Amino acid sequence: MQGLLLALVGFICGCDQTFEAFYWFRPLVVSFFAGIVLGNVELGVACGAVGELAYLGLLTVGGTVPPDPLMAGMMTVVIAYTTGQSPDAAIGLSLPFALLAQWVGIIFNTVYVSVAHKCDEYAKNADVAGFNRIIPLALFIKAGVVALMVFLCSFALQGPIQIFVNSFPEWLIHGFEIAGGMLPAVGLGLLLMVMLKSRNVAYLFLGFIMATFLDMPNVLPIAITAAALAYINYKHEKATDDAVAAVKASAATFDGDDPDGI
Amino acid sequence: MASNEMSASLNDGMAGEAAPKLTKKDLHRLGIRSIAEQAGFSFERMQAPGFTWSMLPCFEKLYPDSKKDMSEFMTYNMEFMNTEMHMATFLMGLELSMEERHTDRNLIAGIRNGLFGPLAGLGDAIFWFTVLPISAGICCSLAQDGSVLGPILYIAIWFFMAISRIWFAEAGYNVGSRLIENIGTTTKYLTEAAGILGMMVVGGLIPSYVTLAFSDDLVFGVGSTTVQSVFNNIMPNVLPLALVFLVFWLFKKKANVLAIILGIIAFGILMSFLGWM
Repeated sequence: MQGLLLALVGFICGCDQTFEAFYWFRPLVVSFFAGIVLGNVELGVACGAVGELAYLGLLTVGGTVPPDPLMAGMMTVVIAYTTGQSPDAAIGLSLPFALLAQWVGIIFNTVYVSVAHKCDEYAKNADVAGFNRIIPLALFIKAGVVALMVFLCSFALQGPIQIFVNSFPEWLIHGFEIAGGMLPAVGLGLLLMVMLKSRNVAYLFLGFIMATFLDMPNVLPIAITAAALAYINYKHEKATDDAVAAVKASAATFDGDDPDGI
Repeated sequence: MASNEMSASLNDGMAGEAAPKLTKKDLHRLGIRSIAEQAGFSFERMQAPGFTWSMLPCFEKLYPDSKKDMSEFMTYNMEFMNTEMHMATFLMGLELSMEERHTDRNLIAGIRNGLFGPLAGLGDAIFWFTVLPISAGICCSLAQDGSVLGPILYIAIWFFMAISRIWFAEAGYNVGSRLIENIGTTTKYLTEAAGILGMMVVGGLIPSYVTLAFSDDLVFGVGSTTVQSVFNNIMPNVLPLALVFLVFWLFKKKANVLAIILGIIAFGILMSFLGWM
């Protein structure tokens, strides 16, 4: 029963993990809810504080930040509750589960490329109903898997999963990580198909060079530089267009008897 | 500026029938719906599916019977999208205000593609690097003392942040409306400027969004020169740049998208297995 309720917490927080809207996927909240379910709110709050700080990078667990905040928050409470360990010790023991959840997340982000391509098809046919089907479906499948993981990790298969994670061939997951780093190139490549023109391709390299060699917190400086360049370009083009118009106009007055005015 | 003439001629253009307009209620619904902006997230197109989905009801209201417009709208919005979530809602409001006034769709798409990157930087600076550490810091210190107030306050703060998207939708719509009134006959120049902005930002996003590098353990023969250092000596990030252009070239050659994606996954697993990356 508690396992099912924890899975429900996992499902709700899993939805929010996709949204990143209400921050219910953060350890502080997940642990709080898990504490309520297990009937030990105080433990949940204490674990939540430890997990949240760890996930902010303010506290590291064995030198690493826990990879998945939701699972870290959930399992810290469950482990502390079932084994009687302190929250600080429990968060260390939750690492394999947080790692597993991170792997599953990477696989979802890879497999869901197919969702985007299904959406492309719907877009081509202006199929609004198709969008209304696939977006919730994608959301609920992912949250459902989170719920399932929580259920299995929390009680049923806690021991075996720990062993499974520790013995898993890491190169396979790392392969998905490498692919995950490369896949945005497909999205950017598609974007270039629409945007790239021989007229503006030079700016792509300017932006690339700035981002490569300057130490910037984000792309804002590039955007401001681009706006400045666009303004120079505008002035230049406007001057050219005005000059052309002026030449045309003076030509028209010169041989004014031309009925077409050209 | 010729703004007066312009807004006059715009009104003329649409004077025929009362063109459908978005109400405050529509924008509020947009703000709420945009909470699902990251549903359907994938490495390839990132937030595009949820971003498109959030705007569908509003667009249906603006173009109730035109399948062609809907298809065009969905297609340009399904292009790569990744920004901070509140800024995404802002951008949606901006796009829809321009769609409402029948602005040239090339210009709207150009503005969309040029702005999401810079807006992401802005939004992250506000929410991710300011609101999150402060709220988490305060709430954790409460929770460490065992107070239930910690998580409850945290939930309340972020509930407010989530609901504030309604305001971001309105802000985007208002900014867009004002912008449109002022651009007038300069549409041609503005499309060009949006293209420049977009290209430069996409160029700037390549190093941060695309990761492709050989492992530091991969050396030539028995020497100490790593393979990656050779590429770095040509230019750092040259591999991500080359990958984007390879994909672009493959698309030009009408290559199958699925084949490219499966190829990338197979490549990743192979490289990992060999320990090269």
